[in-house]
Amino acid sequence: MSPERAPILSVSKLVKRFGGFYALDGLSFHVSSGEILGLVGPNGSGKTTAINVISGLYAPDGGEVVLEGASIGGVASHKLVHRGINRTFQVPKPFLSLTVRQNVEVALAYGGAASAPAMADLLEEYRLAEVANRPAADLNNAQQKMLDLVRALTTRPRLLLLDELAAGLNPAELDWIAGRIKALAQSGMAIIVVEHLMGFIEHITDRVIVLNAGKEIFEGKLAVAVKVPQVIEVFLGGEHAA
Amino acid sequence: MLVYALVAGVLFGLYFSLVGIGLNLVFGVMRIVNLAHGDFLMLGAFVAIGVVTLIGIDPLFAAPLAFVIFLIVGLLLYWILVPRLQGSANPEMLSIILFFGLSQVLEAVTTIFLGTSERSIPSRALGTVFSTVKVKLFGGSPDSGGGPIEILGQGFPASWVIAAITSLVAIGLVYVYLYQTRLGTLTRAVMSRRDEAFATGIDVDRVSAAAFGIGLGLAAVAGIFAPFMFGSVTPAFGADATVTSFAIVVLGSLGNPLGTALGGVIYGICYMVVQTYLSSWADLLPYVLLIFILLLRPSGLLGRRVRVA
Amino acid sequence: MPSALKHTLFIALPVLVIFAALPGVYQNHLLLFNFVIFLILAQGVNIIYGFTGYLPFGYVGFFGAGAYGFAVLVMHLHAPAIPAVLAAGLVGVVLGLLLTPLLRLSGAYFAIANLAASLAVLHLIANPALEQITRGPYGVSLSATFNPTYAYAAALVVLALTLGSVVFLKNSRSGLALQAVREDAVSASMAGVNVVRMRVIAWLASALVAGLAGGVYAWYVSVFYPDNVFSGEFSIFAIVFALFGGVASITGPIVGVVILYGIYNLIGFTTPQYFQLIYGLLIIGLVLFLPAGLVSLATRRGWHVP
Repeated sequence: MSPERAPILSVSKLVKRFGGFYALDGLSFHVSSGEILGLVGPNGSGKTTAINVISGLYAPDGGEVVLEGASIGGVASHKLVHRGINRTFQVPKPFLSLTVRQNVEVALAYGGAASAPAMADLLEEYRLAEVANRPAADLNNAQQKMLDLVRALTTRPRLLLLDELAAGLNPAELDWIAGRIKALAQSGMAIIVVEHLMGFIEHITDRVIVLNAGKEIFEGKLAVAVKVPQVIEVFLGGEHAA
Repeated sequence: MLVYALVAGVLFGLYFSLVGIGLNLVFGVMRIVNLAHGDFLMLGAFVAIGVVTLIGIDPLFAAPLAFVIFLIVGLLLYWILVPRLQGSANPEMLSIILFFGLSQVLEAVTTIFLGTSERSIPSRALGTVFSTVKVKLFGGSPDSGGGPIEILGQGFPASWVIAAITSLVAIGLVYVYLYQTRLGTLTRAVMSRRDEAFATGIDVDRVSAAAFGIGLGLAAVAGIFAPFMFGSVTPAFGADATVTSFAIVVLGSLGNPLGTALGGVIYGICYMVVQTYLSSWADLLPYVLLIFILLLRPSGLLGRRVRVA
Repeated sequence: MPSALKHTLFIALPVLVIFAALPGVYQNHLLLFNFVIFLILAQGVNIIYGFTGYLPFGYVGFFGAGAYGFAVLVMHLHAPAIPAVLAAGLVGVVLGLLLTPLLRLSGAYFAIANLAASLAVLHLIANPALEQITRGPYGVSLSATFNPTYAYAAALVVLALTLGSVVFLKNSRSGLALQAVREDAVSASMAGVNVVRMRVIAWLASALVAGLAGGVYAWYVSVFYPDNVFSGEFSIFAIVFALFGGVASITGPIVGVVILYGIYNLIGFTTPQYFQLIYGLLIIGLVLFLPAGLVSLATRRGWHVP
């Protein structure tokens, strides 16, 4: 939890264009092991694009992504998985016709983790043990999100990107998953969280980056961010005026 | 020679646009691949042959008739086939197989009733209405209808020119439908964002059924001219027509019916130029063109696979 | 007993033994040979469609290219049959490699592009301009290698290889990874799967199988025309047989071939248009009422079908 530690990931002047639209326009930030960093901002501000670039779904059009000292911009996703990055998806897409167990087996076999965690423990921990032999198509949305997370954790990431993991969970589930995420960070994992639920963000993050139009407009504690005029303006213009 | 090839290419190209536009409308709206598209063309061709041989009138009159018949056929087929298909796990893939089955049925039924022999219509049958009108108004001999029409100093069969003009009119009407009518506006909405269209309460089924009916109607109208453009037709003509239609549609832009007009003209010109200078390789053209376009324009075509969150 | 061994002993082996024994008791050897060819092709479709989701609408392209690979080697290099069959497999793989860019396409785009590719290969081979090499549209006659008994045995070997591949896919982590890629390529890459490599491997494996089948077919029939070995029916039958039984399983395509190709031969060839009508209706019914194949009748009841 010490910010002075060398960052595991640093992003500098990242640019991603779609046609003429700059989804990321010179974004820079870093995150260290054991830290939970929040990415917040209105819709279309570039949060998910940032995650997609870091996890190798898109190659950046400019700038640099450095993981543990090595540049990884444009490296294929599966290689990044082997180098210690994993993520969850806003809309989880598990392998629907495969069972929950088989879903995890794929990540166990191909994730490249030197000492993969025990599947039974993970399924138990994320409340999937009872549905382990059912096709993933039978799971509800919250269970599919947990399966997505288990898939990511099975590859033993050192950097975990969570894209709206909490959206759609009920208050009891929110408390529970917040506890899980904090425990993961305490075990030394660096975690980047994209989330719309401000209370949840405030509760779990050490630090947030506020994005607008693909640029950083604030970095620091969320409690401070909400008092900065520029941040307030961006959010009042958006849908999260509260 | 080049002038001839280019003008003939444009005439054929306009016609090819009509050949492909229905397929594109159906794919654009429903994400369904109508592999029986060419068979509806084939049926349209037989409507023309029937009109000429049984009633003896200008097959041009068969165009609106065929459109209406196949519009209704399309609406009926839509309600029978599509809802079940859309409910399945992988509608796009299964649609390919389903409509392949339909194309087999259409080809078989046509063969059972009409046999496998090649059928054609004397090319002067098309446009007799014009020469009749001309004779009535200006006098002169009535058998000048099938004569060649001069464009840029070259003679072209009148049937090609009539087909090209009819195609232009049909494409114009599609444009009016898409941009000037309420149902057409909704159709464009569904084409651009199908998922969101559901969410905003658009009656996607009604829009889709209309698009399917219009798509089949346009195919049948294109079929009317097939005997004149290709010399003759058999019940097996459908399969080739489907692949050609795909080449045209992909060349324009899949999911954008008006792009098909452009695709058709480019295809027509390539077709005629290759036909003129490299005739033994002309058969390869649609396939090679199709593959190259599919591969060279991956951004538009692959767009759906990338998850945009 | 590991399930791979079980599947080999109780599914693959009995099929091979039955088809090895049948020529002794049943006179229509051509029919038996065609059964074996369709078993190979249906399983080849299973490898690429069942395990990766790419619908190979032009699958016959590999088959025809294999047949002509065999023919060219025999005609021009006077190669013996077995090396020529191996070369046919190689031709399938090379064509598959040439067509790997098609894998960038998804869904219907891939199916159509693949269909166009197979037709392009047909028109290339049938082009009178290439008569010196392929005999163009006039067909080939390969009397030098004519030996239906050996060709039938070779077909059984290719079938064994194909069934072995499917048993492997069904029981290995590679097969699981391929299915994961089919379900969602992005999630699969985030499970560490090299999506492109897995797809290419499956694609080339199914191309190899069809190329070998084409070579064996050329050996067996010895006289054929481009339209015979590039007939769209090979693609369509193989796809429909595989789908009817149920893909991503070992038994599905086998059941599909035995039942549907059996019906095909019972109806007979005398009135092809009636057959085509029945076939078309069957396909429509299949998609509407049994989209996941016969095996889904069992799996829906919770029975495990290998």
